[in-house]
Amino acid sequence: MEKSLNPIFSVSDFIAIFNQTLEYAYPMVEIEGEVASFKVNQSKFVFFDIKDASGSINCFMTVWQMRVPIEDGMKVVVSATPKLTQWGKFSLTVKNIRPSGEGSLKKSYELLKAKLEKEGLFAPERKRHLPQFPGRVAVISSTQAAGYADFIKILNDRWGGVRVDVAHVQVQGAGSADQIIRAVDYFNQQEVLPEVLVIIRGGGSADDLSTFNDEPLVRAIAGSRIPTLLGVGHEIDESLSDLAADVSAATPSNAAQILVPDKKEITKLVNGQISSLLPRILQMIEQQRQSVCECLSGAFFTIERALSEAEWKLESLKNTFRQLDPEVILTRGYAIVRGATEVGRVIEVETKKLIIKAEVKNVTKK
Amino acid sequence: MSQKNKSIQEKMTELTDIVSWFNGDSFVLESATDKFKEAEKKAQEIEDDLSKLKNEINVVKQRFDGAN
Repeated sequence: MEKSLNPIFSVSDFIAIFNQTLEYAYPMVEIEGEVASFKVNQSKFVFFDIKDASGSINCFMTVWQMRVPIEDGMKVVVSATPKLTQWGKFSLTVKNIRPSGEGSLKKSYELLKAKLEKEGLFAPERKRHLPQFPGRVAVISSTQAAGYADFIKILNDRWGGVRVDVAHVQVQGAGSADQIIRAVDYFNQQEVLPEVLVIIRGGGSADDLSTFNDEPLVRAIAGSRIPTLLGVGHEIDESLSDLAADVSAATPSNAAQILVPDKKEITKLVNGQISSLLPRILQMIEQQRQSVCECLSGAFFTIERALSEAEWKLESLKNTFRQLDPEVILTRGYAIVRGATEVGRVIEVETKKLIIKAEVKNVTKK
Repeated sequence: MSQKNKSIQEKMTELTDIVSWFNGDSFVLESATDKFKEAEKKAQEIEDDLSKLKNEINVVKQRFDGAN
């Protein structure tokens, strides 16, 4: 029998050599397809197929590697290493999976939103207030991004005296969510915590912004000890990170507007406060003038009343005296008799108009 | 909170206190002129501070790409 020139492998060796070859040729592949037969075993291991119109490949990953919810029918991109299992089955060991296409992104967003909402991560009562005049702020962004430049420009235009520590991270693409999470952890582990943690990223496509719908990142933002302010995307974009943050700004520029007051407005406010004092002083002077006038009027009234009473009493006394005047009594028909009332004596009788001399004829006791 | 900003915040609180005094029961006309001058001075200090203060921006050296 002729000896073969081809090497003879054991099955295990062949699988190992085959896998080495695969690893050399395809250390990491990205494949786009539709998810089918998705299932989770023992709450740890995830199995599914990725397929298109004419092909299908088995995939395997752990639940901890899943950053977003996945279900059958969703279009995804997997980052994976191809592998032949010890049972001779070809499979992709998935390191990362992300939804692809608008429909799948939306579906994944809705699934995760419902899940986290149920856990209370977006509850209004969890929201903390930001300080009015922050002195120390942490910013997580890409320092090369236009959104970051907008944020810093508006910040410098509006306010001063803030210490801003910036963590430069990737804000889109594979690995960006992990970088942001590390930066969130970094600031949260500082001995003296910044007063606000701001996460900034300018606008982009739904795929670019999908980083901010990453479940671990959303949880990191919700779990931050430092109050969070998120300024990601444009006004119409709302990520799950926006919902988890304490305050969500429409844009990076808007984040700067929310973060610090405008010194022009503060100056206006301060000057307005001063202007409001003069009318207050004038008002008080007027009030006191009126009060003095009222006191004086009261005093005059009291004096006038006392005078009137005195005048009335005087008039009354005068009347009394007037009634006692003998001339007045004579007017009423009485007469005054002068002289001794003895028989034979002459007495004088005075009436209103006459003075009469008369002799006393008789005196009788009453 | 930085000393400068804290100082602005403190000055604003003090100014607000003075303004409240004018609107409160403790207001007496005899003290109003002195209080008004004090408020004017405080407002001027705040305006000066605001025009001078600059932000201090530091990019931290720590890398977050998992390389360190």
